[in-house]
Amino acid sequence: MTETERLLSVAPSPAFWIAVIAYVAAAAALLFVLGGHARFRPVALALVGVAFVAHGADIGWRGVQHVHPAQSVREALGFLSFIITGGYLLASTRWRLILGGAAVMPVSLMLLVVARLSPAGAAPEDLTALGRIHISLATIGVGVFALAAALSVIYLAEERALKRKKFDAIAFKDRGAPLAALDRLSHRLIWIGFPIFTVALVLGAVWVSRRGESLDRPEYPLAAVTWIFYAILLVVRQAYGWRGRRAARLTLAGFAAALLVLVIYLVRRMAGG
Amino acid sequence: MSELFVVGISWRTAPVAVREKLAFRDEELAPTLQAMTGELPVAEALLVSTCNRVEVYGVGKPSADPTGPVRAFLATQRGLAPADVADVLYDHRGNAAVRHVFSVASALDSLVLGEAQILGQLKAAYSVAASAGTSGPLLGRCLERAFGVAKRVRSETAIARGAANVSTVAVDLAKRVFGNLEGKSVLVVGAGKMSTLAARHLYASGAKHIIVTNRSPDKAEALAAEIDGIAKPWADLEGLLVDADVVISSTGAREPILTRPLFKRVTKARRWRQLVVIDIAVPRDADPAISDFDGVYVFDIDDLEKVVAANLAERARAAEHAARIVDHEAGQFEHWMRTQGIVPTIRALRERFARVADAELQKTLDTLARRDHTPAQQREAIQRLVQLVVNKLLHQPTIALRESPPDEAGMRAEILCQLFDLSPVESGDAVTAAASQPGISVPGVSAGDDEPPALGRDLAAESPPSERKAVP
Repeated sequence: MTETERLLSVAPSPAFWIAVIAYVAAAAALLFVLGGHARFRPVALALVGVAFVAHGADIGWRGVQHVHPAQSVREALGFLSFIITGGYLLASTRWRLILGGAAVMPVSLMLLVVARLSPAGAAPEDLTALGRIHISLATIGVGVFALAAALSVIYLAEERALKRKKFDAIAFKDRGAPLAALDRLSHRLIWIGFPIFTVALVLGAVWVSRRGESLDRPEYPLAAVTWIFYAILLVVRQAYGWRGRRAARLTLAGFAAALLVLVIYLVRRMAGG
Repeated sequence: MSELFVVGISWRTAPVAVREKLAFRDEELAPTLQAMTGELPVAEALLVSTCNRVEVYGVGKPSADPTGPVRAFLATQRGLAPADVADVLYDHRGNAAVRHVFSVASALDSLVLGEAQILGQLKAAYSVAASAGTSGPLLGRCLERAFGVAKRVRSETAIARGAANVSTVAVDLAKRVFGNLEGKSVLVVGAGKMSTLAARHLYASGAKHIIVTNRSPDKAEALAAEIDGIAKPWADLEGLLVDADVVISSTGAREPILTRPLFKRVTKARRWRQLVVIDIAVPRDADPAISDFDGVYVFDIDDLEKVVAANLAERARAAEHAARIVDHEAGQFEHWMRTQGIVPTIRALRERFARVADAELQKTLDTLARRDHTPAQQREAIQRLVQLVVNKLLHQPTIALRESPPDEAGMRAEILCQLFDLSPVESGDAVTAAASQPGISVPGVSAGDDEPPALGRDLAAESPPSERKAVP
């Protein structure tokens, strides 16, 4: 067994399975809270906390086995969902984001499961320091965009309920975050994520050209499209005051493009390309 | 033992036309309470008089029913014949009274379920009673507990959640958009009474700039002066809309004033900042189509009333849970009241035992101090001290038990067995049985005891007739 084969065959740790169970339990508990059992909110948040800690432990355990989050897109996905869960925990200390939690938990779980259980495919070659930095920054950038996208989903749900006068709608149970705050926070996150993602993109291009590959693979222009979406968003907000519904939709479009890039990477890796 | 009582009238039993006749002004409360405790068999009293209820909470003097006299007193105080208000007055005693006080404090008995005023009114009434010298330990304890129960009900149930009137709903909706209204600017369009109320609520929630505009400048000035706002000319409406965060509109116009073309310009000039429009005019001032613009949220009077109805329904559901809390707390309070009755007995028992033990100990210490004793003599003195104390303590109960009337003897013996965890031996040989247990010295049985064995006598006298032992 070669070194790369050994690295790829590292099985999920017990902490991974604890995280999976905790994610499922947390999602169920959050739905239960949404159903009107507000008293169980601390229990639901505690389960999110357990999932977060177990998830972190799994990443740490892989680190001990010399499998690093920035090693491949597959590993980076596991780290991405860790960032998303952490961001949600942080935000829920301030607001009662029950609906947001019920949406975020399945996403985190799905990303983690894909990261650990999808076929590893062929090992990446010549993973240089440049490659690692590119993967790390791209992961953090997309993680921050994911949080902004989650806030935008909540914004759109709350806005729709408010415009349609559905005051008892699920988005308002237990007082979600106010619209203005969701809009502002999502915008701030994009301001944070954008420079990180920009650097990741430039390093990625340098990395690819150093390896002598051409830039005609579909994920490369798509990554540029993602960048353009967020750039437009920041410009129109700054220059024309776009906010609210339109800003939320653009945020989601940008995140969808980012996700598509990740999916193409994964599929190519699984196919051994 | 004296118990708590409630006598009163509320919105449940009488219309306002009757309630107002029985109402008391604040300055009348203290003299009325003092008259009540002075003239009636009432030891402690509190009087709460609000627009929805007039109630007396009190404690009667021992072995007297105060509710009848209090009913008559309330009527005559207000110049009414007691018979005229007999049907609308209600009374509760004991646990029912406690439950009623807890329910009132928790706003379960309020016209608007869960409203917050009643708790403050009760606290004020309690402080009047305290300063008038008519609240005592039992009433005080009950009220303090009631305040605690009210706090618990508010925090553990949804009884006080959601606004219960149109003006506060307007504030709630604005908060759903902005979160915090601190520093937000409010534009009042038209000078109706409802907009005044809503503007006041927004002001109380932190909105600091209130601008008033009206077709008639005089009315705008008058309203602005009333709510600490600034009056602006009607011609500036478009510019005012651009600067506002919340618009409250209640003009008497027949056609919409906040129209689609106007808002197209306004929203663009605002750069789509959020704008909440509360339209409480009928016919409506705002064209419903303006809510299609990004960031514009329009609520009309129907929307506000729908929220009020939904919130009240939610409160009604929470009231069931709240009632269970009140029941539980009232039960605990009743238990506390019952135990209060035995505290003096426990205290007296402990004092009696301590007195006997102290007296005998002092005698023994004096004897020991008079001359030197060998260790054996000291041991004997301590043994005798213990026996003496036991004898003295048991003497009185033993006599009382022995001389019990035949129909009570069994019950008394049973109670003693429970209190001292005794399991009497069936045979007449109780003394021997006790003496055979290691470490127990029974006076009158051990050899060489020169003290008259009082305990031994008592036991010997008690043990042979086994039929006297009711408990096996």
